Amino acid sequence: MLYLELFLQGLLQGSIYALVAVGLTLVYGLLRILHVAHAGLYTLGGYFGVLVFNSTGSLMLSGIVAMFGVGILGVIIYRLCYEAILDQPPYVPLIASIGLFIAMEELYRILFGSYGISYTNPPLQQMLPLGGMYLREGEWVTILVSIILIGGLAWLSSRTRLGLAWRATVTDPQMAESFGIDPIRVRYFNFFIGSALAGTAGMIVGILNNLVEPTMGSVPSYKALAIIVLGGLGSVRGTLVAALMLGVVESFGTIYLGNVLNRDAIAFVFLILVLMVRPQGMFRGV
Amino acid sequence: MGYEISLLTFMGISIIGSLSLNLITGFCGQVSLGHVAFVGMGAYTASILTKADTPFFVALLAGMLLAGSFGVMVGLASLRVRHDFLAITTMGVNFVFLGVVREQEWLGGELGVSSIPDPGLGKLGFLALVLGCVILVALLSLQIRRSWMGYVFEAVSGDEDTARMLGLDVSRYKLIAFALGTALAGLSGGLYAHHVRFIFPDSFAFVESITLLAMVVIGGNGSILGVIVASALLSVLPQWFQFIGDYKLLLYGSLLFVVMRFSPGGLAGLAKYIFPKSKKSFGLKENR
Amino acid sequence: MSLLDIRNISVRFGGVHALEEVSLNLNQGEILGLIGPNGAGKTTMLRVITGVVQPNHGEIDLEGEMLNNLSIPARVRKGLGFAQQLVRPFREMTLAENVALAAGAEQTKHPWRSMFRVDRREALRESLKWLAMVGIENAADSYPNAVPLGYLKRMEVARVLALRPRMLLLDEPLAGLNQVEATAFADILVELNSQGQTILLIEHNLAEVRRICSRLVVLDNGCKLAEGSPETVLKQPAVLEAYIGQGTVHAEN
Repeated sequence: MLYLELFLQGLLQGSIYALVAVGLTLVYGLLRILHVAHAGLYTLGGYFGVLVFNSTGSLMLSGIVAMFGVGILGVIIYRLCYEAILDQPPYVPLIASIGLFIAMEELYRILFGSYGISYTNPPLQQMLPLGGMYLREGEWVTILVSIILIGGLAWLSSRTRLGLAWRATVTDPQMAESFGIDPIRVRYFNFFIGSALAGTAGMIVGILNNLVEPTMGSVPSYKALAIIVLGGLGSVRGTLVAALMLGVVESFGTIYLGNVLNRDAIAFVFLILVLMVRPQGMFRGV
Repeated sequence: MGYEISLLTFMGISIIGSLSLNLITGFCGQVSLGHVAFVGMGAYTASILTKADTPFFVALLAGMLLAGSFGVMVGLASLRVRHDFLAITTMGVNFVFLGVVREQEWLGGELGVSSIPDPGLGKLGFLALVLGCVILVALLSLQIRRSWMGYVFEAVSGDEDTARMLGLDVSRYKLIAFALGTALAGLSGGLYAHHVRFIFPDSFAFVESITLLAMVVIGGNGSILGVIVASALLSVLPQWFQFIGDYKLLLYGSLLFVVMRFSPGGLAGLAKYIFPKSKKSFGLKENR
Repeated sequence: MSLLDIRNISVRFGGVHALEEVSLNLNQGEILGLIGPNGAGKTTMLRVITGVVQPNHGEIDLEGEMLNNLSIPARVRKGLGFAQQLVRPFREMTLAENVALAAGAEQTKHPWRSMFRVDRREALRESLKWLAMVGIENAADSYPNAVPLGYLKRMEVARVLALRPRMLLLDEPLAGLNQVEATAFADILVELNSQGQTILLIEHNLAEVRRICSRLVVLDNGCKLAEGSPETVLKQPAVLEAYIGQGTVHAEN
């Protein structure tokens, strides 16, 4: 039973990783940018969620604000920050992005205080036994939302015209352009979707921990990078598998290796081992 | 006076650290996001040794040796894993280093190593030692850049597959860059430990690697003078920012962002833009 | 006299046979044309020779010495000079610097010692000689982004020549050039050859191939289809058939 419990905890953590990392992988697949500030958007999703919920009491409304608000901000970040430096060597947008992330975290701290904000009337905290599994409502919702959003993403990219345009641009921007696809709009769309997923993840984690603090993006900021690299940089399927796998490895690792290595170190030992065997990650990029 | 000496010493140590990263990232084009791990290895090795009554300079050398050996291992990884994959691997090295150090009793765990012995050079003497090292490392960097080694590094940085097609032993050159760069990082670590005389895991956190990389990139990846100026500025900036206290990190983050966004070539790029120099030429007219 | 001996090379990518039991040899002082329709395995063959691709089976000998286990740089230092199909200059260096880096092979052979070798003037002077040989010495101080494609193609050849290779291995050097440029470029190859340079040429421009090559090997579907002098080989119906099958017979033929 312990094994199953650990496995489930791992999957739960993994599905949150997945929501954050998928956006990152979308950005990387299209623009080859390691978009660290993505984690700042994740934190912002947490703040949007808690602030709107505390003032309106509507979970639905706060979810919508977290998703769309963060999505739109993602597009703005692309437009103002990255567009001008796309043709620079990769470390230029990387450092810019890290700078942006540090500034975002600090801004949250100054605006909302360093101790964080809690839900005044925490939603989704009841235990809900389902199929012999004892999880909180919020945890069931996490699993459900992850499945719906990522399933929706898969549907969008494989079954719609927009998705086709998107895949074409990722494969070969010039080819896509000659088919009349506007690459700029595809990029906006890309940042919107990726950031909206991160915002949602931020809100979910805010609810699960019943706390939104300025530094909640720190761990996802680097761990999501590890995940997309494990998954093969740019491969959405690879990212999903890597996220879930890392969640499980960490959850078992902290129990059995906890006194030798901490959670982060376990994750990165795993990453380095995988890369030594498969230097391009577990899956090939797009 | 004591404060200024201490500040200058710290500045010098930062310059050694960033110049050492510049060898790997600036010259040889291998982006490392975990360089401070090697600074940490040097710091821990040297301070554990001096606490066990090893002479200071021997301990310093041992720290360089250990950091350099691990650096060669990462260099070996760089032969297999490339570009962004390598950057994230090196980031991983930083986290694994921290993870290991945090859990080791004999390295002081979370509390770190304290009461590291005074090397006995006096404050000014130590500053002189640090500045001497800065000069040596800067001279080494200059020599590498103007030599054929620097020429090959430039090629590896530009396109390593083509460099191989020209018969250049890219793998060995890369290993040399990693060995030298990480050993010098170990040197800066040993000096750092004996300057502050108290180290703990967070002194070598991931964000410090970013700071080192920022010094290199803001200086203008590869430009020796640019990197020195940038690290001098960035290392004391937080001190100057004290007066704005609460907004220190906000300003720091914004600065990184603004420089990269508006002057991707860093300070060196900016200088080139303001004072355009005539192109290097050897007696031939420019084609166009 | 045979310089390079390639025996029974097979390469499989996944389940696909890219090359099957192909043997060929390159003789001292000749221009050997390696031709065939798209996907015939020419570039794969060249990659096997340079060491980018490891063959599943077969052997490559340079004057009796087996090359199979040598790294790419080691093969280059043995005298294999390889120019890639897509030009890949070092964009941060002038054309002269690009060539001088190759000309300084002696300086860069031992990595540690290279730290103490500083003088680049000799190599730069030599690079001018090679650039002059391919007719672009006037662009020596230009950066790659400032010159047309034809110049970069020539620079690539100059860069390989600066290694003083025992053979030149060229992958479609004429691709992307117009007919005037192509003829001029082919003439340079003839000139080099007349000075004793051995050349292996992969090329689609059959008019030029017919004009300059002393011998041809034709690949089709990973197998050797024909071998011999240009006149006899290009007359064979099977060779024409192979090209028609791919629809790639050039208009100028």
